Amino acid sequence: MKPALQQDMTVAVPSNISMRGRPAEAGSNALTGYTAVEDATVVRRLREAGAHLRSSACVGEFGFGLPVGGAAAVAPRPSAGGAEAVDGAELLMDFMGESRLAAAHASIYGLKPSYGLVSRFGLIGLIPSMECCGILSGSLNTIGEVLMTVAGQDGLDFSLPEEDAPDFSPREIRPEEITIGIITEAQSMAAGAERSPATGDSRGAPTPRGAEGFRASMEELRRLGFTLREVSLPGYELFSLVHRVVGSVEASSAAGRYDSVRYGPRAPGAKNWNEMYLMSRGAAFGTLIKSYLIQGAFFQFERYEAFIDACRIRARLVEDMRRLESEVDFFVLPMDDGPAQEVRSGAGVPPSLAGLYESHASTLYANVTGQPALYLPPVPGSAPTGFQLTGPRLSDGRLLDLGRFISESWGGE
Amino acid sequence: MEFEAVIGLEIHVELNCVTKMFCDCPNHPGDQPNANTCPTCLWLPGALPRLSQEALEKASLLSLGLGAELQPRSAFDQKIYYYPDLPKGFQLSQIHLPLSRGGGIDILDEDGVTRKLRIHHIHMEEDVAKLVHEMEGRLPVGLVDFNRAGAPLVEIVTEPDFRTPYQAMEFLKTLRTRVRYVGSSDCNMDDGTMRADANISIRPRGTDQMNTKVEVKNMNSVRHVGDAISYEIARQTAAVQADEAVILHTRLWDPDKKATLPMRAKFEGPCVPDPCVPAIELSPAWIEQMRTRLPEMPTERGERLTAQHGLTREEALSLSADPEVAAYFDALVARGIAPRTAMHWLTTQLIPAVRERRQDLNTSPVAPERLAALLDLLAKDEINANAAREVLVEMFGCDEAPEAIVARRGFKQISDADALDPLIDKVLTEQARAVADFQSGQVKALGFLVGRVMQASGGKADPKVIRELLDEKLGAG
Ligand SMILES: [Zn+2]
Repeated sequence: MKPALQQDMTVAVPSNISMRGRPAEAGSNALTGYTAVEDATVVRRLREAGAHLRSSACVGEFGFGLPVGGAAAVAPRPSAGGAEAVDGAELLMDFMGESRLAAAHASIYGLKPSYGLVSRFGLIGLIPSMECCGILSGSLNTIGEVLMTVAGQDGLDFSLPEEDAPDFSPREIRPEEITIGIITEAQSMAAGAERSPATGDSRGAPTPRGAEGFRASMEELRRLGFTLREVSLPGYELFSLVHRVVGSVEASSAAGRYDSVRYGPRAPGAKNWNEMYLMSRGAAFGTLIKSYLIQGAFFQFERYEAFIDACRIRARLVEDMRRLESEVDFFVLPMDDGPAQEVRSGAGVPPSLAGLYESHASTLYANVTGQPALYLPPVPGSAPTGFQLTGPRLSDGRLLDLGRFISESWGGE
Repeated sequence: MEFEAVIGLEIHVELNCVTKMFCDCPNHPGDQPNANTCPTCLWLPGALPRLSQEALEKASLLSLGLGAELQPRSAFDQKIYYYPDLPKGFQLSQIHLPLSRGGGIDILDEDGVTRKLRIHHIHMEEDVAKLVHEMEGRLPVGLVDFNRAGAPLVEIVTEPDFRTPYQAMEFLKTLRTRVRYVGSSDCNMDDGTMRADANISIRPRGTDQMNTKVEVKNMNSVRHVGDAISYEIARQTAAVQADEAVILHTRLWDPDKKATLPMRAKFEGPCVPDPCVPAIELSPAWIEQMRTRLPEMPTERGERLTAQHGLTREEALSLSADPEVAAYFDALVARGIAPRTAMHWLTTQLIPAVRERRQDLNTSPVAPERLAALLDLLAKDEINANAAREVLVEMFGCDEAPEAIVARRGFKQISDADALDPLIDKVLTEQARAVADFQSGQVKALGFLVGRVMQASGGKADPKVIRELLDEKLGAG
């Protein structure tokens, strides 16, 4: 097997991805003092391929959602400094689009791989059915190499489907043979248009930076010779709701495993050990995670039917996307990278669930459906924001080919 | 008003797998505390469960052995449960989609009537850790032993088909036999590899209403299950007669007080499907392959023994209750030993001898071919029964063939009339009184004389030949 990684590549690994012998506190008080006893499979494979691993901090508790407010300040940077910056990569746990959002803030590339393509063994997560290990870099080739190194079957993660990792070897892109779908409803949501019957007509609506950048990017894609076709996904606006219900219930049901007793701070003053367990859990989590867990507990115990409905809608959305995949090869979606810069720089704004979901509104879909999604930074000088490309599950390699083709035409890479 | 009980059982069976259910740790809960643990069964951050194929197979065989139907698709859920013996806060269990459904066991009830007691479903789940309470000096401490955490369990949930404690006890005994047969578990209630909880309610006899039930736990023998159910029926009947409401709750059986006592309410809520353990898809071919691995089951085996070898129902059942005993019996018969002789020697001689030596029938030095060789000598009158019993004892201590032991110990039976004649004449002379008794019609005296001749031969004479010779001599007068 040929080595997939360039020599001396540096990969930054946050503390919610286990590295044997390193504190794995995942940015949570609940894991204070916990040291990983095993390497995550992604870490082990990178190590074996000769990568230099370096630690990075978690953005927010468990790395869950880039906090509204502090995001710009803590956005990941390409790992190695100076001129070699493009050679580095950064891993980032992706629960709701964090790797694409962080890439947007840093103006680099960010990939959320297909669900089930990369082992989750050793990832300290919250929402098993939606989370995965995202990859950021200033170079798409680097992202491709890292993905090729970490992807594929793992005897330690039985949840990976029994399928071979797709062919990642670069293949030619002929724009005239490729149809890219524009999801009407995603476009209008980014434009802030009313969510009336999805006509896609956003003229006259307020025009945030996302919509503006998106329009400019579409023009560029047309100019490159791709066929663009508008397609409709009437359920698009439900992605956020489905993510919120299913994600919070999964988190709430299983978060008890971060017990804060065998590691982390034990709550003092309990009368017996049962009480000590309960009090420790109560004291361990921060406000944002706690409100997420409480929301999940509410759906699980008070509105279980809503959870079942959300699971059903999720399955339908996956089906709907699959149906659209028969009409187009890829999709292009706007990237709303959050409120205007002025607002974002105001660090210290307490993170709220509503704010978190709002800031990830344009990225949640891929975590719900399990598709791969790639963030491309804007065309230099022509648009204020970049956009996302997505395609069928396991089309990760082709998605990177497409991204590379577009970037190169724009003078990138 | 006369009441009848409506009883259902929930039976946990610990599978005798080599590893735990979701990791490769040895499934030996009794080892040094926390020796058999890993990040998965300690549920450390980042660990993932990996369902053991062996657990799936043993649970499937158990299901088939109880007549249940394996489901094409089953899955694990997270059963929320907060207690220090489950620090991760949820137990992996199949709540929504169990491994198998249906099935049941036929028992003979107290009136000798065959009754089918149905199984609702059978599901897999992981066991929890064990809590140990100790004193460190004067400070009480609670310790958690994770050796049992993640051990493979199945839970068998019955329909509320039972009406009496007797039926519940019979069901458990038959269930135990069948599960041992398929080789999935030892099913010992005293060491906890089988645990039974009972749901009990009462109603006026003849109605079909379902009233509030009470769950009773902590019975660690089949007998305790019967006692606890009896107690609970009496307690609920008294309550209803005193116009008190029966409240849904859980009680623990206290074997010393011989009473059920209420226990703290358990938190229960809807379960969420576990996103990490993939759903289990069983193909018809896989299920068929499991079915071919099922041994002949005890009821069928019992019926075959009755039909083929003319044993009584009781004899056949006593042989077929234990798969090892039944297999041993089959092996003896296959070597030409008469079925009744085989049954007699197996149940009255070999099994007690094996038990006395704390051995296993399977691994004891007296393999079926050796016992068959011994019984063959007996059948050919080369030794008598007393000698055979002594040879059997010797066979436990050496690997000599029975013939060799017989020769070495000089056990070969004297059947030669010429050799026995002088002994008989001597006894007849010495025991003139007994001879007179016999001749005056006291038949019993003959047995006495046979015994005397046997004694004189040092136990080696063939009693049949002695009897013939005595008949001849005394009859001839
Ligand atoms: Zn283990």
